Amino acid sequence: MLIEATFFATLTAAMVVFMAPSRYAGKLATLLSVVPLGTSLYMWFTFDGSGNALLESGDIAFETTLSWLELGPYQLQWHVGVDGVSMPLLVLTTILTTLALISSWTPIDERESQFYGLMLLMEASLIGVFTALDFFLWFVFWEGVLIPMYFLIGVWGGPRRKYASIKFLVYTNVASLVMFIGLFGLVFGLGDSLTTLGLPEIAQGVRGGDLGSFAGLDPEALKAAAFLAMFAGFAVKVPVVPFHTWLPDAHVEAPTPVSVILAGVLLKMGTYALLRFNFTMLADVARDYAEIIAIFGVLSVIYGAMLALAQRDLKRIVAYSSISSMGYVILGLVAFTPHGFGGATFQMISHGLISGLMFMVVGVIYNTTHTRMVGDMSGMADKMPWTVGIFIAAAFGYMGLPLMSGFAGEVLVFIGAFHSTVIPGAPVYTAIAMFGIVIVAGYLLWAMQRTLFGPFKLETDYEVGPAAFHDVAPLVVLLLLVILLGVAPDIAYEMIQDAINPLLGGGA
Amino acid sequence: MAVAVQYYLLLSAVVFCTGLFGILVRRNALMFLMSVELMLNAGNINLVAFSHYYGNLTGQVFSLFIIALAAAEVAIGIGIILVLYRNFDDIDVTEATTMRW
Amino acid sequence: MAEHLVFELAPAIAGLPFLAFLIALFFGKYMPKKGALAGIAAAAGSLVLAVWTAATLFGGAEPYHTHIYDFVLGAEGVGGVDLSFGILIDPLSALMLVIVTLISTLIQIHSLGYMNDDGQTGLPRYYAELGLFTFSMLAFVYSDNLLMAFMFFELVGLCSYLLIGFWFRDEGPPSGAKKAFLVTRFGDYFFLIGVVAVFATFGTTAFVGEDSFVVMAEHALADGATEHITTYLGLDVQQWFTVIGLLVLGGVVGKSAQFPLHTWLPDAMEGPTPVSALIHAATMVAAGVYLVARMYGFYALSPTALGVIALIGGFTALFAATMAVVKQEIKQVLAYSTISQYGYMMLALGGGAYTAAVFHLTTHAVFKALLFLGAGSVIIAMHHDENMWNMGGLKDDMRVTYLTFLAGSLALAGIFPFAGFWSKDEVLYETLIHGLAGSPLLLVGYAFGLLSVFVTGFYTFRMVLLTFHGNPRSDAARDPASLRWNTKLPVAVLGIGAATIGFINMKPVEELAGTHLTFLHDWLAIGTVGEESEFAALTTEHYHHILFADYGAGYSAADLGPLIPAVVSLGLALAGVGAAWVLYSDPDPVPQTKKLGSVRTLLMNNYYQDEFQVWLARGVTVPVAKAADTFDQSIIDGVVNGVGSVSLFSGERFRRIQTGVVSNYATLLTLGLTLLLVVFGLVGGWF
Repeated sequence: MLIEATFFATLTAAMVVFMAPSRYAGKLATLLSVVPLGTSLYMWFTFDGSGNALLESGDIAFETTLSWLELGPYQLQWHVGVDGVSMPLLVLTTILTTLALISSWTPIDERESQFYGLMLLMEASLIGVFTALDFFLWFVFWEGVLIPMYFLIGVWGGPRRKYASIKFLVYTNVASLVMFIGLFGLVFGLGDSLTTLGLPEIAQGVRGGDLGSFAGLDPEALKAAAFLAMFAGFAVKVPVVPFHTWLPDAHVEAPTPVSVILAGVLLKMGTYALLRFNFTMLADVARDYAEIIAIFGVLSVIYGAMLALAQRDLKRIVAYSSISSMGYVILGLVAFTPHGFGGATFQMISHGLISGLMFMVVGVIYNTTHTRMVGDMSGMADKMPWTVGIFIAAAFGYMGLPLMSGFAGEVLVFIGAFHSTVIPGAPVYTAIAMFGIVIVAGYLLWAMQRTLFGPFKLETDYEVGPAAFHDVAPLVVLLLLVILLGVAPDIAYEMIQDAINPLLGGGA
Repeated sequence: MAVAVQYYLLLSAVVFCTGLFGILVRRNALMFLMSVELMLNAGNINLVAFSHYYGNLTGQVFSLFIIALAAAEVAIGIGIILVLYRNFDDIDVTEATTMRW
Repeated sequence: MAEHLVFELAPAIAGLPFLAFLIALFFGKYMPKKGALAGIAAAAGSLVLAVWTAATLFGGAEPYHTHIYDFVLGAEGVGGVDLSFGILIDPLSALMLVIVTLISTLIQIHSLGYMNDDGQTGLPRYYAELGLFTFSMLAFVYSDNLLMAFMFFELVGLCSYLLIGFWFRDEGPPSGAKKAFLVTRFGDYFFLIGVVAVFATFGTTAFVGEDSFVVMAEHALADGATEHITTYLGLDVQQWFTVIGLLVLGGVVGKSAQFPLHTWLPDAMEGPTPVSALIHAATMVAAGVYLVARMYGFYALSPTALGVIALIGGFTALFAATMAVVKQEIKQVLAYSTISQYGYMMLALGGGAYTAAVFHLTTHAVFKALLFLGAGSVIIAMHHDENMWNMGGLKDDMRVTYLTFLAGSLALAGIFPFAGFWSKDEVLYETLIHGLAGSPLLLVGYAFGLLSVFVTGFYTFRMVLLTFHGNPRSDAARDPASLRWNTKLPVAVLGIGAATIGFINMKPVEELAGTHLTFLHDWLAIGTVGEESEFAALTTEHYHHILFADYGAGYSAADLGPLIPAVVSLGLALAGVGAAWVLYSDPDPVPQTKKLGSVRTLLMNNYYQDEFQVWLARGVTVPVAKAADTFDQSIIDGVVNGVGSVSLFSGERFRRIQTGVVSNYATLLTLGLTLLLVVFGLVGGWF
């Protein structure tokens, strides 16, 4: 029942905030978002699940199954539950949303009630995405995320918001369509053996070899085709180079709190879905094509980092470096080793926190300076010491400084990928991908030197001074979380490993 | 001595073609509306004729429905025409092309 | 294992400075000396503990190794790798702990004079960062595995970044800080690959014990016990170990500022001088060499890796020394001398002279900290003018500083009986005898090393003569600012050290006197551990065994007494000093290096190494990035936008069907209906 409580509390909060007067909307939304935060944290601490939710390997935590609709031969269900992979992502969502809501108080100054309402609506959908275990239900939430995001970028965004929001919506929607076709290929291939659209049923059916022919494709070809369609669909969401171009535009135009959620949680939907669908249901196909996927991962890392190096807009830098960081996740997933999977999942959480922090801190500086361009300002350290201190910490977190979560994620991915047996030449690919840690240091240090240090210079009519307490507080919380996870990765990693283990057992 | 059903059908066809002709060549919106009415009523004639021929009242009931529907349609149609007139000072249907895209 | 209270307290050695970091950061503003007292107290506390630890070991206790924390456990038995933290205290790490805490304490005391009395701002930040720096280095020093070492190695890098960029309001320091971090990061990239490779190969990165990768590697080569070892890329065990060793060496080359990653160190002089002292003497730069010493058992297995180390070291020693000859700023001379001296240590490690390397690390820490603090005193007195050509004649006004600086310089130049003489001589001697016995690569390294003895003597005394002798050449030099006890005390302590620390390992005299005088060697040999101890693989005897074994480096020693090489190197050093005396002892010296002509330009520009690396960054990487960006925006995004444009364009065309004329729609309807009827008619066979 806790998942339902979390979900409906968020949904109700969204409705209430939509109707609240704009003056109170921000505070009210923040206050109400504490409820799902509280319930999800309670779930975290009372988590008693084991094994992977999609495989018959243990107990799914907080599971509920209710019949919902009948669609042809299939019984659609309200089937929700969490395992060690989705639990941390769920908590990440609720934590980041609450903090993002607080960080919206300063920059959002029109149509507040709609803004906060949409943010909460998006949170509700995200909670759904990470907990749903029925494909139909999952897909509703998956698409449900896009709509609030479209409005959040399109209404409160920067000068090119319309372009960015439409690009985002169309691109990701087309991707969803492709993915949908792929999955339904599997569903029809399973034929009569399937009576519901539950993800565990589909996964176990496919892994158990129940797949028949469909549309003239024999089971092996059908699997490969479905894998390709789903990979393409999710790759847009992650995003994997070369499907990434919507991301920088969306990030640059989106207001800060929306960027936080976009980078922090939305991108993880892609890798989460990859893990659930491509690497769980179709693990054997993934093994066969491991090398090609690994190349995509490495390409994302290096190419994304090189693009970040060429940018002047701080937000664009962080946006491209997100592409780079998500490349590590792909590399980790495809390695098919315990630390590869675990590290990749951990990296999702870690990157969610660090990129959220990074966007937030850039936002705080932007609120004051009204520019994000490297070169338009310098010496910010003099004016906003604490904010800049956190900026530096966040940047080093991004560079993978030990004892911050980024390092734990990356090093686990590297260890996992290095001794992968499914990728021929795994050490070489890993070594190339690792060069990302040098490039990331290059562009972040360069940007920091130009904007934060040196004599103060900024052409502005605004007063430049320390940020307000409520702007800095979320930054501090995130930084502490990053350090906490960096010092003790096991807080989340143990849970993740438990859910990852059955994946490597082969078979169903 | 009942009239053979063919004659009703012939009448219906004539009325329908008249209406169709009106739609295709007229530019006056009112004429348009009247032509549509003619076509509807051609249909009604068919329904009533067959109803009588088969001795089944369902067709006549449906023609009543259609008459009611036609009345509603005319009400809306007249409304549109009024608005059209206000905006374009004319009820020529080809004038309103500026509203197309 | 004997239980000693001090070992239980070992975590506090690093913990105290961390505590000081927190206190200085959050409460430093409200404290009387802005956090300095917390820092000094913590460092002094650590020093006491470190000395106590060393004394306990000296008193016959077994080395200490404990597991303290599981970094990543994951689910049980998964992944087969061990990611944990532990503490390893053996004579090597205990010695290093003492060095680090001693230098750190003295530097923070010196900072009272250099920073507080100078009215600097941001002092809580300064002391907090020093605390963090000390903490990271100490944790690095006694880490018991390679992963933990890497983690704190990186934190050391972060702290150096923060401290070099301490004066962030100017243009120079942030730039130097960035360069320092970036160049060392480049080295750490290879190091991290090495760490990951060690994990993937051995499943552990522990330094000590039967299950440590060092011992596993040795067994693999000695007994062919390869069942727990996975090699990659189709290499055999020996080749793969060499690859791993060279990868880890990348980090060492970066941190210890060896060619070609030495370029960051001179730029790092932008930081406050006490920080430079700390970086050069005891922490950041020392970390690299220390790492090689820490896993020496692994390097000793690979003659190729050792050869590379020796060659890099020897070359760097000479290469950096030549650049020091022409520098005008006192700190720049010291910076290049640091690079050069660490080159000696690398040469020693590569040459199979483990004890000598550690010995030189120790003596260098003392005399280089001394020189930097002395230079710091001079810089305060000169009101932050660092150019030696504006100094001169300071010896009369700054008696204590002069004498101690002279002691440090004699040590650096390697003049009998100061510290540097003993250690440098042993480095060269060991390399020579191993080289003569059939390792020509070592002889090349030795030649480089020997040559730079002369150069070192020259540039050191050029610096001393220009700074302290002759007539004052500026107003500041005529009337230097006075110094308080807090700058003098640390240099005095270190001055005594520089004069005497060499006596801990007097190898050349040992033969003459006929008594046992190599105390450091005994200390590192860990006489207390038996064959069965888990520490047996950490003793010098064992390293010696591997070095001379067939499966290891395969070195052998030529039969040559230590006396003649010692006389040769001393003679060369004295010749260098003499040359400097001849050229610069004039009361009004002239810049003799002008005579070098174009060579001087080359040296002043550091062999254009900086330009080369800047070109790599600006001239290659940035254009590639820009090209990638253009490609991304025009081609990849172009395709995406192109798909949008195509659909928009086709929509534009298709909508023309919608004329807006109702009659047209009606015509279409009618025609459509007719067409349908005809089709149905034809298909249905009505006609």
